[in-house]
Amino acid sequence: MLPAQLVIALVAGLAIVALLFYGAGALEGRTAGRLVLLVGLVALPLLLSAGNMSYGVSESSSTRFCLSCHEMQRHGKSLFADNKQALAAAHYQNRLVDRETVCYSCHKDYAMFGDVTAKLNGLRHVWAHYVAGVPAKIELYKPYPNSNCLHCHDDARRFIEGVAHRPILPALQAGTTSCLSCHRIAHDMAKVDADDLWQAH
Amino acid sequence: MTKKIRRAAVLAGLGLVAQLVAALHWTPATFIVSAVIATPLILAGGVLFLAAVWKNMKDKGAV
Repeated sequence: MLPAQLVIALVAGLAIVALLFYGAGALEGRTAGRLVLLVGLVALPLLLSAGNMSYGVSESSSTRFCLSCHEMQRHGKSLFADNKQALAAAHYQNRLVDRETVCYSCHKDYAMFGDVTAKLNGLRHVWAHYVAGVPAKIELYKPYPNSNCLHCHDDARRFIEGVAHRPILPALQAGTTSCLSCHRIAHDMAKVDADDLWQAH
Repeated sequence: MTKKIRRAAVLAGLGLVAQLVAALHWTPATFIVSAVIATPLILAGGVLFLAAVWKNMKDKGAV
């Protein structure tokens, strides 16, 4: 849902455009009138459109946005899987990531163009959803990079001092050993299918 | 010129309506509607207005 301020701004913008529609005849003959028309019919709608799109782009990082496609709903359910070892469930249930942006937090790259790449991949998802068709098995476009895990865990004490991590820290940081080679279950779909889910209350 | 300005206002208005309707509930579909339909409508309105003003000024020898 849009924030109230943006709704009010869009409605006000519409009202101004409607007023200018009726007042165009009277305003067009004067320089000041043309300036009013320029602001009301060009600058203001463009500004509102930019604001709205900017809000839309930020909203597209939200968990509810990702899960609004039915193909993703099993993955969404896996956040509640009763499995403390499953990565998605552990991160969500222990609040290791912001629950409002849980998909985006783990599935976007953190390099310079990580956001842009994630949004472009989002367009590919939309294309698959509406045009090309969703593959039977949903898979990542490329192997999950360690850098996404290390973005948060890299300097975390529990990670650095972890008995299993210490001997392979350089390999993890270089990406030659995947985090997922030990943490094998990302989304526990078996638990989802068995409806074996965890709820806080 | 009034007619053209009104046409520009209609396009901008339609674009804003589409933005409002689409954005009341952000989903991938409404996001695409907003980006592919609403924003181009608003841009078209702006271009139409500027073209009308430019032509009017040219006709009057102001440019």
